[in-house]
Amino acid sequence: MASLISCPHCGIRPKEEYAIKGAALPRPAPDAPRSVWFDHVFLRDNPRGPYEEYWHHAGGCRRWLIVTRDTATHEVLACRDAGAEPAVTA
Amino acid sequence: MPDPTAAAFELTHRPVLVPVALTSPCIALLPLPEGTVIQILGPAARVEDVCAITDATGFSLRGNGPGQWFAVGDEPDKFAELAATLPDGFTAIDQSHGRVRIAIEGESVGEVLAKGTGVDLALFETGRAATTLIGHVATHLARISDDRFELLVTRSFAENVWDDLKIMAAEYLGVSHE
Amino acid sequence: MSSYRLSAGGLIDRATSLSFTFDGRDYAGHDGDTLASALLANGRRLVGRSFKYHRPRGIVAAGSAEPNALVTIGRGGRTEPNTRATMQELYAGLEARSQNRWPSLDFDLGSLNGLFSPFLGAGFYYKTFMWPGALWEKLYEPLIRRAAGLGQATREADPDRYEKTWAHCDLLVVGSGPAGLTAALTAGRAGLRVILADEQFAFGGSLLSESARIDGMAAPDYAARCVEELRSLPSVRLLSRTTVIGWYDSNVFGAVERAQKHVAMPKGHRPLERFWRIAAKHALLATGAEERPLLFGGNDIPGVMLAGAMRSYLNRYGVAPGRRVAIATTNDSGYALARDLERAGVDLVAIIDSRTQPTISYHGRARVMSGARVTDARGGKSLSGLTVAVGGRSETLAVDALAMAGGFSPIIHLACHRGGKPVWAEEKHAFLAPQDLDGVTLAGSVTGAAGIAACLADGAAQARTVAAALGKKAAHIRADVEDDVVAAPQPPLFSLSGVKGKAFVDFQNDVHVADLGLAVREGFGHVELAKRYTTTGMATDQGKLSNANAISLLAQAHGVSPAEVGTTTFRPFYTPVSFGALTGAARGKHFQPVRKSPLHEWAAKNGAVFVEAGLWYRSSWFPRTGETGWRESVDREVLTVRAAAGLCDVSTLGKIEISGRDAATFLDRVYCNGFAKLPVGKARYGLMLREDGMIYDDGTTSRLSENRYFMTTTTAYAAGVMSHLEFCAQVLWPDLDVQMASVTDQWAQLAIAGPQSRAILQKIVDEELSEEAFGFLAAREVSLFGGRLNGLLFRISFSGELAYELAVPAGYGESVADALMAVGEAHGICAYGVEALNVLRIEKGFVTHSEINGTVTPADIGLGRMVSRTKTDFIGKAMLAREGLSDPVRLKLVGVMPLDPAASFQPGSHILREGEEATLENDQGYATSAGYSPHLKSTIGLALVVGGAERHGEQVMIWNNLRQQYTPGRICDPVFLSAAKGGQGA
Repeated sequence: MASLISCPHCGIRPKEEYAIKGAALPRPAPDAPRSVWFDHVFLRDNPRGPYEEYWHHAGGCRRWLIVTRDTATHEVLACRDAGAEPAVTA
Repeated sequence: MPDPTAAAFELTHRPVLVPVALTSPCIALLPLPEGTVIQILGPAARVEDVCAITDATGFSLRGNGPGQWFAVGDEPDKFAELAATLPDGFTAIDQSHGRVRIAIEGESVGEVLAKGTGVDLALFETGRAATTLIGHVATHLARISDDRFELLVTRSFAENVWDDLKIMAAEYLGVSHE
Repeated sequence: MSSYRLSAGGLIDRATSLSFTFDGRDYAGHDGDTLASALLANGRRLVGRSFKYHRPRGIVAAGSAEPNALVTIGRGGRTEPNTRATMQELYAGLEARSQNRWPSLDFDLGSLNGLFSPFLGAGFYYKTFMWPGALWEKLYEPLIRRAAGLGQATREADPDRYEKTWAHCDLLVVGSGPAGLTAALTAGRAGLRVILADEQFAFGGSLLSESARIDGMAAPDYAARCVEELRSLPSVRLLSRTTVIGWYDSNVFGAVERAQKHVAMPKGHRPLERFWRIAAKHALLATGAEERPLLFGGNDIPGVMLAGAMRSYLNRYGVAPGRRVAIATTNDSGYALARDLERAGVDLVAIIDSRTQPTISYHGRARVMSGARVTDARGGKSLSGLTVAVGGRSETLAVDALAMAGGFSPIIHLACHRGGKPVWAEEKHAFLAPQDLDGVTLAGSVTGAAGIAACLADGAAQARTVAAALGKKAAHIRADVEDDVVAAPQPPLFSLSGVKGKAFVDFQNDVHVADLGLAVREGFGHVELAKRYTTTGMATDQGKLSNANAISLLAQAHGVSPAEVGTTTFRPFYTPVSFGALTGAARGKHFQPVRKSPLHEWAAKNGAVFVEAGLWYRSSWFPRTGETGWRESVDREVLTVRAAAGLCDVSTLGKIEISGRDAATFLDRVYCNGFAKLPVGKARYGLMLREDGMIYDDGTTSRLSENRYFMTTTTAYAAGVMSHLEFCAQVLWPDLDVQMASVTDQWAQLAIAGPQSRAILQKIVDEELSEEAFGFLAAREVSLFGGRLNGLLFRISFSGELAYELAVPAGYGESVADALMAVGEAHGICAYGVEALNVLRIEKGFVTHSEINGTVTPADIGLGRMVSRTKTDFIGKAMLAREGLSDPVRLKLVGVMPLDPAASFQPGSHILREGEEATLENDQGYATSAGYSPHLKSTIGLALVVGGAERHGEQVMIWNNLRQQYTPGRICDPVFLSAAKGGQGA
């Protein structure tokens, strides 16, 4: 796991300051078909390579972030505020 | 309609840290008075509006991430005064009892804090403030001057952080406080 | 015949005398000595016994690669086994003991193992001790553990302090030999933030053992001049006694500083060891190269050592290795040692050069045997002679010391810690670090470079490149070197014909050449298999000296290049790291943070017994004089609350202030029940679900004003709920105008429960508290003590009694609690803790996280009616409609009691039908909570059971497999005491 993550608000911080939630997937609409909801809640890809995840800067600015992490090399490729884009599908 | 016993009751405030500083020529740990601490939430872009208010009311304003600030002052019970003047769109939350201030200063301050935080303090200029982990505890850190920082700690962890700071500073204080 | 101190020379302070003991005998050395150099100076060459065969062993190396000279240092809690004598600085009063011998180092009965060596070959664990399997644990393992081993750890507590710290730099330079020094100097002069770390106590690396001259001065003086300048540069930090032990993601390096390992009595205010996490923009590894031992019979006899090590002892410590010395070499580096030995007046008998044509001209007195190699060494505890194969015949030499110059293996460990594979370089006859590492450059002999001049130049050049990449211009450093011996790499020497004795590959694990051959013949020839089959490279030195030879042997056996054999994986740590360093300051009461309630002192002075709940210390119960056990206190507290009143500290509950124009909408979406219509001044119990429909947390939320809410969470989930709400607000619904702040620490919160609670509270609350004025679920800001203080008052109950929760500013919490106890005394108030709280809520069937354990839905605990049917969306709504969640076999909340009121059971016990066997298929559910109800005079519990309410009245068996306890019981309504005045879910 990455030793350091660069928070877009706070700068470089050790990973201990962050908590991971999991894959950064948009939440389906409330009336989305059941199958979409099942996939959202229970199905995850497990790609080798870049993967977007929600991380919380819990020991810092308390913003939720989207961290793009390479699952093979642990390299953090990008980190941006998760609130800057819609996470709910229309 | 208070009871006579209650009316006569001497209501006392218990500070969480004993107000005794630990000092040496190169480091000092100072518990600060439990004055007023106000958490302010609002639009990040309107930081000037907040500054204007805190300047006018004599608070020191410290950033804490996008759209979040702490206004701190040594005097107690100043929450209402600031809250009343805050413009629309901002929320003020009284944290005067929820947060405890500790100052740490001296030429070895960077060495001591590096034992707790992963922040590169050489790049953390005077005036900067942010929350970081000191050991295991999320702590708000503000650089007041080149060799003085102020920490803002949640009350329940304050004693613990104080004890940790004593250990971190032990080699500069010249004594073990364990 | 032995090693001895020369009358002059070396970097030791001969004016000092440091007395120390080894196995109880007194010796003396000087400032600047290591334990190894001091032992050699005192003629002590036998320092340990080998792992398996208990063979006598001496000092082979002069640095961290030492496989043999492992000793135990210190006594009591400061006992440190397996310390490499080559890395231990000498200090006055040092106590060292040899290991793995009995009864003594000189006479060791374990050496009889050598006689059984035909049975102790590769894989002997798997062959010899296979059957019967039952004997493994009782007989074989203890036997092997006793016979084979290292030092013993102490059972006493470590009295010293450890700590961790962070450092940040532009350039981390690892190693302060010629390349590291010029690199640090180049970067430091250019203004980069530099950290130079070296595992030795003095900076200079190989220069400290070098006899060449640089810029007209002795090599150690040149090093000292560089260090002096580095110390004068404000942006440079020098870390000596600091081993960089790992390269981690994001270019963070781990390093251990042995801050006080070189003193007899460590100072209490300083750490013994310090663990550094170094975040480096770039790192330059100038870690040097390790010399390879040669393979011949008896290559482990004390007196045989690496040529470079012998040169260190000679030049740096002023120690001669013996009276009659020979050098066996495959390359020119052996001649540098020859020159230095002769200059020091040591009798050099022969240079045994494997090459027929040496590439260096030698003008010394020693006999040069070309095309020669050592086949066997003689001597038991001390070398006495050699057999040399030369020109097709065999010759013996009488010598008491032998240097092995088998060529060099670059120390590329750190460069491979992040998964990069070493690359075989045929022209260098060595494995090199992978090319183009991100964030790391190598310089000096770690790249296969040979000679001081080349290393000095390479360090400076690489640092210039790094500086340029970081936007700084750095100047050249040039140095002239005289007497530089540049040893071109030569192919390793692997002829074993004529070898009679055991030729060791891995000294520390006693793996010899024949073991590797056996591994290949038995099908374990793959490098990773051979490692595990023979244990080569698996000792505490991790194969620093042995891996190169082992790989070459495997390559030879397979008839392929070492490139095809490959290496095993390099992993952190480079050298062993103490548990103390890894633990840092997190021990004893600092093991984890302690979180104290603002009412902690109030509880303490009322005699509370505290229990750790997460990080919190919560008051568990409040024993009174005369009470004989905790149950007696808890029973009294429970009865007092229902009969009169009790005061309980509930400050640990999570408290979140939520505000904004859309706060109501937000709450409607995060709770499964409705909140939009909650009136101002009212509290409501709420259930938060996870997106999969299971309950996440519960608590009350009160509307203090139109757009301001006060939420409470459970103690355990306070942090989790805050993060969850922030996720909802920031990520899911950023369009909602809602702000939130944790105010857990701002308020001291007191639960006042029992029929007298209103009367007691009324004495300090200024507002009217009658049923009409402040009814069930009222929640308002109130004035206290005649306007002297404001608080928040909630009419909520977790006991089923008339009850309130009062929140006051934390700093006044203790004072307010004192006041309530004082005014409540006449009403019979008592302090109660979480044990009584638990009994009170079980009596009423109220749930906590014991029940809402992540597997239950609102319907499972009888709160299905709370779930809104009208809201279009809330977290968990979609998945709550899954058909599986309405399956009748789901476990549902019930009460459970033992048939015999004197019997008890534990939470976690499983429920079985009467008369059925305890099998997975027969499992009917499990008890989630249990406690003794003094009202019912019986243990009562809550359980999650198939069928739930349908089974009220059924007799069951409550089964605890851990205690083999079978308790006949009956399923019942979870509400044990009726006439609840509201509370959870009401």
